[in-house]
Amino acid sequence: MIGVISYLVFFATVASILSIAVLGLNLQWGNTGLFNGGVVAFFGAGAYGTLLLGSASQDGLLGGFGLPYLLALFGGMMIAGIVAWIVGLLTLRLRHDYLAIATFGVAVAFENLVRNADLLGGAQGIRGFERPLRDTFGNGFTYNLLFFVFVLILLVLTYVFLERLIASPFGRLLRAIREDETAAQSLGKSPSRVRLTAFIAGSVIMGLAGGLYATFYAFISPQDVLPILTFQIWAMLIVGGAGNNKGAVMGTFLIWAAWTASGWALSRFAPLEVQLYTGSIQFVLIGFVIVGMLLWRPQGLFPEKLVVSQSAKTGG
Amino acid sequence: MIQNLVDGFLVGSILSLGAIGLTMAMHMLRFANFSHAELLSIGAYVALVFDGLFSAIYPALAGAIAPLSLTWALSLSILISMAITGISAILIDRLVFKRVRAKGGELSMVFASFGVAMILRNILGLIFGLDPKLYSQDIVFAIVVSRDPFLLVKPDQVFTLIAALLIMFILHLVLSRTTFGYSLRAVAENPTLAQVSGINLSRMIVLIWLIGGGLAAAAGVFYGLTNQINPVLGRDLVLPIFAATIVGGIGSIYGAVLGGFLVGLASNLALVILPSGYSPAVPFLIILAVLLIRPHGLFGEERA
Amino acid sequence: MNGLKTSALAIGAALAFASFGTEAAAQECTTKIGAVLPTSVDWGKPIAATAQYAVDLANEAGGVAGCEIEMVLRDTQVDPKVGVDAAKALVDLDGVQLLLGAVSSGVSMPILTSVTVPAGVMQMSCCSSSTAFTALSEEGKTNGLFYRTFATSGVQAAVGAMVARDEGYESVAVFYKNDDWGQDIGGLVAKDLEALGIEVTASIAINDAQASYRAEVTEALKGNPQAIYMALYPKEGTQVVREWISLGGTQEMIAANALKSDEFKENVGMQFLGNFTGTDTASPRTDSASAFVDAYTTRFDGPPNGPGLANSYDATMIALLAIHAAGEGATGADIAAKIGSVTDPDGTPVSADAEGFAAAKEVLDGGGTVSYQGATGNVLFDANGDVSAPAVTWVFSESGIDEKQYISLTEVNDFMASMQ
Repeated sequence: MIGVISYLVFFATVASILSIAVLGLNLQWGNTGLFNGGVVAFFGAGAYGTLLLGSASQDGLLGGFGLPYLLALFGGMMIAGIVAWIVGLLTLRLRHDYLAIATFGVAVAFENLVRNADLLGGAQGIRGFERPLRDTFGNGFTYNLLFFVFVLILLVLTYVFLERLIASPFGRLLRAIREDETAAQSLGKSPSRVRLTAFIAGSVIMGLAGGLYATFYAFISPQDVLPILTFQIWAMLIVGGAGNNKGAVMGTFLIWAAWTASGWALSRFAPLEVQLYTGSIQFVLIGFVIVGMLLWRPQGLFPEKLVVSQSAKTGG
Repeated sequence: MIQNLVDGFLVGSILSLGAIGLTMAMHMLRFANFSHAELLSIGAYVALVFDGLFSAIYPALAGAIAPLSLTWALSLSILISMAITGISAILIDRLVFKRVRAKGGELSMVFASFGVAMILRNILGLIFGLDPKLYSQDIVFAIVVSRDPFLLVKPDQVFTLIAALLIMFILHLVLSRTTFGYSLRAVAENPTLAQVSGINLSRMIVLIWLIGGGLAAAAGVFYGLTNQINPVLGRDLVLPIFAATIVGGIGSIYGAVLGGFLVGLASNLALVILPSGYSPAVPFLIILAVLLIRPHGLFGEERA
Repeated sequence: MNGLKTSALAIGAALAFASFGTEAAAQECTTKIGAVLPTSVDWGKPIAATAQYAVDLANEAGGVAGCEIEMVLRDTQVDPKVGVDAAKALVDLDGVQLLLGAVSSGVSMPILTSVTVPAGVMQMSCCSSSTAFTALSEEGKTNGLFYRTFATSGVQAAVGAMVARDEGYESVAVFYKNDDWGQDIGGLVAKDLEALGIEVTASIAINDAQASYRAEVTEALKGNPQAIYMALYPKEGTQVVREWISLGGTQEMIAANALKSDEFKENVGMQFLGNFTGTDTASPRTDSASAFVDAYTTRFDGPPNGPGLANSYDATMIALLAIHAAGEGATGADIAAKIGSVTDPDGTPVSADAEGFAAAKEVLDGGGTVSYQGATGNVLFDANGDVSAPAVTWVFSESGIDEKQYISLTEVNDFMASMQ
C-alpha cells in the first residue's frame, strides 16, 4: 500500500508542476486570447535558468553562481520573463495562427540552441545542483512528500493569484481586449501593452513550472524541451476548459493520468506477444482520448464562466 | 552555393505540393490541420503496397524508367495512391473534423488534428513496422551538370520537380478555366455568398479534401523516392510544410507554391551561414523574418 | 462537478488495480524486473526484444534465486517525464529491485536521480553514453547502483582514428548524430584525427527527424575529403550515405558500431560498401561467442546486428546473474554489490547462452565467482559502473558482417596515450 501512495505522491507532484504551466497558458490563451505555440521555450528558460543560476561553477558552463535555491528559482522565472518580453515585442501583433507558428518557431530555436551550445550543456544537459534540503530530509518518501507539499503550495498561490487577477480591473481589461479590441482602444487602453503584460506574466508562471521541474529531476536536457511538451500542456488546457483555472488544473491531472495510466495498463494487461508494440498502441490510445474528449466536450470539462456585468443585473 | 540553390528548388517542390492542400484546408475550413502531413505518409505507403503488388503480378512493370529509379509499377501506383489518399482525407473529415467543427471552435479542430495525426502515424507504424523502407534499393548517381561551378543533380529529383510543376500547372488550369475552379475560388473568398449563388458547400469541401489529399500523396511518394519511407515521414515534414503555407500566406495556392520553394531554398542555403546543428530552426527563422515584414505572409489577406 | 467525479473514479480504479497486482505476486514465485526502453522508436524495439530474449533464456535455465523472472516493459517515448513516471511505477507499484534502462542518457539520468537512487534500486543501462554518469559516480551520488554495458566512447573514437591512419587517409569529414552520444564521439574522433595529423575537413551535425540531409551532405562534399567518419544510427545513416554516394562522394568510410546493422547494409548495397570499415567493442575469442550469435539468429531470423542489441543482452544477463548471486528477497543494493562476482576476471568463464547461464548459477551457488563472457566482450566494470573493452574492426560482406582485426585493450590504451 505504501508503494501506491509513494507513486501517487510522485505522480501528483509532476501533475502539479505541469498544472502551474497550464495555468500560465490559461492566462495567455483563456483570458487574453494569445495562441502561444512555444510554451516549451518559456518553460525551458525557467528550467535552464534555475539550474544554471543555482549550481556551483562548472567548467565550460554558463552561470554557476551558486545562488540559494529560492533565489535561483526566482531568477529562472525572470529569465523566462525576459525571453517572453523579447518574443512578445516581435510577435504579438501577428494574427493568432501566425502567432502560434512564430512562437512555435521560437521554441524550436530554443531547443536547437541548448542542444548545440556547449555553454548551455549541449545535448548532454545540465546536472545543476542536488535537490534542495536533500541532506536534511534524506532522499526517500518523506522528502518526496515534503517536496509535493512545497509544489502544492506554489500551485495554490498561483491559482489564487490568477483568480484574483481575473476578478480585478486588469482581468476585466483582458477580457475587454479579447472580446472587442477597438472598443477597448477607444476608451484609451493600450491593447498591445496589456497583451504584452499578460504574455510576460503567463510566461513567468511557465518559467516557475520549468524551474520546479528541473529541481525535481535534478537534471535538464534538450530532450525535456521538445515540442511534445507544448502539445501536452495545450491538450491539458483544452480538455480541462480554456478560460477556467479550475479546468486548467483538472485537465492537467486528467491528461497526465491518461498518459501515464495508458502505458501502465498496456504493460499490465496486454498479452505478451504485443508487449513490444505497446509503445505505438499507447500513442494511438492517447490520440483517441484527445479526439474523443474533443468530440464529446469540446468546450472542456469546465467551460469558462461567463461574466455578466453587475450593472446589467441591477439596472432596469 | 549554386548547388545549394538548385537543391533548394528540388526539395521545395515537394513542400509546395504538400502546402497547397494545407493552405486550402486552413483557409476554407478555418483550422490549422496538423494531420495534413500524415496524408503524405499514407500516400507514400499506399504507393509502396501497390508498387509491390504490380511488380509481383506483372514483373515487366518492375523495370526502372532510366535514368530514374522510378519504375512503371510505381508510376501507376502514384495515381492510385493519390485517389486512395484523397478518399482517406474525406473519410477522416467525415469521422472527426466535421463533427468537431459542428460542436467546437477552431482550437478544438487543431487539437483534434493533433490527435488524428498521432493515431495515423502510429497505426502506420504498427502495420508496416518502424524501420525505413525504400521503393528501390538502387542508388542512382547524380549527373554532373557542370564542372565549374560544380553542380550535381539527381535524375529523380529533376523528375520530382517536373512532375510537381506539371501537377501545379494542371491545378492552375482547373482553377482559372473551369467552373469548378471558379466555384472553389468563390467559396474561398466568401462562402455565404457562394452558397447563395447555388454552390454546394459540402460538395466543395469534399473536393478540397480530395485534391489536398491527392497532392499530398504525390508529395509523399516523391519524398519517398528521393529519401526513404518511414512512419514519421509526415511528422518530419509537417513543420517545413507549415512554414511554406505561412510564408506564402494562408489561403493563397500560388503563395503556397512560392512558399514551398522559398523554404526549400532557405533550408539549403542556411548551412552556408549557420552551423549544421541549427538546421531545424531555419524554417522558423524564415517564418519570423517574413512575418515581421508582411504579417499576413506574402500573398495572404486579412481574414474576414 | 463532472470532472471531479471522473477523476475520483479514475483514482479509485487505479488503486483497486494496483492492490490486485501486489496480491497476485505473493502467491507464486515470480521475481519482477523492470525495463524502461523506447519501444515506440525503430531502434528501441529490437533492444527491448533482446532483453526479453535474455529473460526467456534465463527462465529456460530455471530462473534465478529459485523464482521465475518476469520482465515488466514500459515505453519511455524518449520523453524524460514519461520514462521517469514509468520507472517510478515499476519501483513503487510492481516492486522491482532492478531496472533495465533507459537508452537515451536524457531519460536515464533523471530516472537515476529521482527514482532509482532514492529507492535503492539497481539500474543497468545498455546504451546510455553520457560522460555525466561517470562524473556522478565519481562524486559518490550513485551509491554504486548504476551500471552500463556501454563501452565508453573514448576507445571507439581512438580506434576510428587508428583505422584512418592505417588506411592512409589524409582528410576526413565527420558526420555525427546531434545527440549526446554523437556529439561526444564526434568531438573525440575529430580531436584524435587532428592529433594524428589528419585533416578534419568538416564536422557536420545530423539532426534527428529531419526530412532531408541534402544540405549537410553538400556541405561536407565541399571539403573534398578522402574519407568520411560516421557516428550515426541506421535510419539517418542510410539517408546520409545514399545521398553522399549518389552525389559522387568517396566510398571510403569509417563508422562507429551504431551502423553495424543489416538494414543499413541492405539499403545501401554491398556494391558501395567495399571500402567500409566499422569499429566496435570486441566479443571474446571463444566458441561460445558464436554460439550466442547462432542462437540469436535462430530466434530472430537474423544475427544480432543493430545498435545496442549485444549491449542489451549482456546488461540483462549480467543483472539476472547478479540477482541469483544475491539470493531471494535481495534489494537493489544487494544486487549491485554482486555485479563484481559475476564479472570477476579471475572467476570461472561462462558463455553468453542458456548453458553458460546454468553453469554460472551452479558456480555462484557453490560460493564461487564467474567471469561472464558476453556478446559485447569480456565485460569488466570499473568503479563507476563503466565498461572498457578491447576493440574490433569489422566489414560488411555478402553473408553478413565479418570481423577484420582485433585490438586488445592494452593496444588501445597505448595508442590513446601516444596521441596525448
